[in-house]
Amino acid sequence: MTLISTRPGPGAARPYRFPQVVRRGVAGGQLVAAHLPGQSLAVALLLLDAGAGREPQGREGLGTVLAKALEEGTAQRDATAYALAIEALGTELVAGLDWDSFQVSVQVPVDRLPAAVELLAEAVRTPRLEPDDVRRVRDDEATAQRMDWANPGPRADAALRADLFGAENRWGRPLYGDPETVAALEVEDVRIFHSEWFLRPGTLIVVGDLERLDLDALAATAFAGTGGGAVDRGGPVEVTPRDSSKIILVDRPGSVQSTLRLGHPSPHRAHPDHVPMRLAGTVLGGAFTSRLNHLIREVRGYTYGIRGDFVSSRRFGRFAVSSGVQTAVTAPALVEAVGEITRTQQTGVTEPELAVARSWLAGQLSVELQTPRAIAAALTTLVVHDLPDDYHARLRAALLAAEVEEVSAAAAAHLHPEGLTLVVEGDANLIRAELAATELGEVVTSTR
Amino acid sequence: MPDSGFPWPIETTRLDNGLRVVVSEDRTAPAVAVNLWYDIGSRHEPEGQTGFAHLFEHLMFEGSTNVAKTEHMKLVQGCGGSLNATTNPDRTNYFETVPAEHLELTLWLEADRMGGLVPALTQETLDNQRDVVKNERRQRYENVPYGDAWLRLLPLLYPPGHPYHHATIGSMADLNAADLPTFQAFHTAYYAPNNAVLTVVGDTSAAEVFALAEKYFGAIPPRPEIPAAPDGQHVPGAGVATTETVVTEVPAPRVYVAHRTHPFGTAGYDVTSVLATVLGSGRGSRLYQRLADGERIAQPDLVGAYGVDLAYAPAPLIATATARPGVPAERLAAGLGEVVDELATVPVTAAELDRAKALLSTAWWRQMSTVEGRADTLGRYATQFGDPRRAAERLPAWLAVTADQIAAVAAEVLAPADRVTLTYLPEESS
Repeated sequence: MTLISTRPGPGAARPYRFPQVVRRGVAGGQLVAAHLPGQSLAVALLLLDAGAGREPQGREGLGTVLAKALEEGTAQRDATAYALAIEALGTELVAGLDWDSFQVSVQVPVDRLPAAVELLAEAVRTPRLEPDDVRRVRDDEATAQRMDWANPGPRADAALRADLFGAENRWGRPLYGDPETVAALEVEDVRIFHSEWFLRPGTLIVVGDLERLDLDALAATAFAGTGGGAVDRGGPVEVTPRDSSKIILVDRPGSVQSTLRLGHPSPHRAHPDHVPMRLAGTVLGGAFTSRLNHLIREVRGYTYGIRGDFVSSRRFGRFAVSSGVQTAVTAPALVEAVGEITRTQQTGVTEPELAVARSWLAGQLSVELQTPRAIAAALTTLVVHDLPDDYHARLRAALLAAEVEEVSAAAAAHLHPEGLTLVVEGDANLIRAELAATELGEVVTSTR
Repeated sequence: MPDSGFPWPIETTRLDNGLRVVVSEDRTAPAVAVNLWYDIGSRHEPEGQTGFAHLFEHLMFEGSTNVAKTEHMKLVQGCGGSLNATTNPDRTNYFETVPAEHLELTLWLEADRMGGLVPALTQETLDNQRDVVKNERRQRYENVPYGDAWLRLLPLLYPPGHPYHHATIGSMADLNAADLPTFQAFHTAYYAPNNAVLTVVGDTSAAEVFALAEKYFGAIPPRPEIPAAPDGQHVPGAGVATTETVVTEVPAPRVYVAHRTHPFGTAGYDVTSVLATVLGSGRGSRLYQRLADGERIAQPDLVGAYGVDLAYAPAPLIATATARPGVPAERLAAGLGEVVDELATVPVTAAELDRAKALLSTAWWRQMSTVEGRADTLGRYATQFGDPRRAAERLPAWLAVTADQIAAVAAEVLAPADRVTLTYLPEESS
């Protein structure tokens, strides 16, 4: 056997260029586009300021029900005719929301984009929202959520979020609501939310071979019949981490794994430490080779995977670790995970670990940003967070330039191992005593 | 209609040791995708060794002659790359997408684990990855409602001894029994250059890749005889409908209807692919229109149909629906069966056919929109059909399918006597 033992070094680095960004106002709305020459598929995405943060208190899930109701018939055609029309173009309407925005998109061969945008606008601007249809969609969504909440995860996520942010706040409740809030929605809630937020022009994002597309015509279609301006989006929410850790036990009798969700609040998206924080999160839990996955999966064999990261939106953020571990090792897995968070907070990161994190995150920009959908998502980030056209180039440079000291400082400042909410969803009878014995914090049982 | 589903160059060579190399140059982005298909899947596993091919996939990340444990992941992610591997009944694939300047590193890593895994394989690594795989089984199949449907459908579709009878994840008992010498023998038997296809797509040239392949893989010896999987082309039909009912902790009744169709890559399976889209893809599909929108007995987000693209035996077509609250499983099963039956008796309209073909076209181009999607496709066609260029045939073949062909295939393979029905019932309703 004559394998070559010397590991080859890299060849000459080839520059990555984010596609040229086009931005302009058209027909009362904003158009943002990127040119992908020769690409056979194109994406159009309408971005509306109608994220979950716009849902009124106690009406969680409203945006999701509206997203599904958009396709239940429009001013021009019924639900079946609409489905056949849009699917005949080879696409489906993809509609959904996050904390900061509502997004509706289509992806089609480039020559079909004008027709697809017409259908997109028809559903967004002129849905019928017949009361019987809205009630049926609402009931189906409540059922779908009950199905989803039968899986491990959603109840633990909800318990974590409520403890971090307070269930009295919209951002302390699940992003998509829960089966009960959805079931309680009224037809009028949906119609009012639509008239309030879906008739403003918003931003049209177009990605594809722009030489084959008439951007102004697409924007005119998307913004036809709209009015109203931008509405204040609110400032960052200040959230104080707990002063001592707490274990929340969510009972799931018979569970063969325990679902872990450990976390605390962290800064919002525009915080100046965004890049070093992300790197610290990557060293701790963001990559396969991170500290958490290495110890809990590769060394101990407790899990199929464990990850941790900082996630932020315009107004708030959180650090969280998530995993599923076999029931018998729930307590040791929890102790060791908290141990890695503590070690990272106290002693920071090392240069070899940071080198991997840095070049991984930077390299991922070239590897991931290939498809029209991925580029559209990147443009969405620019719009939602008011970032410049050269943001991705600057981000790449900032990632590569980050030093051990600043990343360790970010870990020290933004990790709070002493104030963690430790949610464990599993068979309470089997794990309660062991969890209490860890002395990581008081054990309370969730009533959800 | 396009004449080709693959309008990029394809160049191929074969090293003296039998390794086939496929290259498709595309300078659009500074990234390359490297993909290895090994012709070893769970269909090759003898009785008592289920789950071995997949557990082996895990071991391939744990170090080799010149690569320390955990270094593989660290080096690929450390250069900005993405990587993973998957195992299915047919084959195991390993893949990385990296910034183009790291192509050589990636090929070195792949060659080292093809040629040098056995000396690095330890009992400790085997024990650890066996635990990880058992956790994967718990997480994906055992701890989620309906998670074991695929594990239950396979033995109902394929008789004992058939290569698709058991699921790739394997049984806990077999995984527990696995010992180190068996795994060393497994690598020696299947991880040979003449049992693999190396595909590289992206910012590189065929000349560069061929030279690097020779440099890193050229000295790995071929294995003269690769053990073949049992033949599974002919599956004796049961002659009567097969049903299984599971009463367990699930939130609502769910029904799966499954049939054996044709092997992936055949004309019959092209028809099946279009048929499955007519039947169960999107809101315009027959299942959605009839069961979710029409009779309103099925939950709209959970109704659908799809073929499973397996190439060495009649591949499964699976249709599924989950009951709306208050709808009994029997009514749902009857409705689902009826819509499947009608594929043979109610002609597919031009609009249904156009809709299905448009959706399949977009799905095809979506797969082709990334270098890794193209690399995996070329590796598949080279491995399963001996020529990566045949990838170009698939989209035109779908677009040529007619309504008559769909009715004929439906009559041939979707008969109620060949049907497998798996029903889940919530515990309280029993």
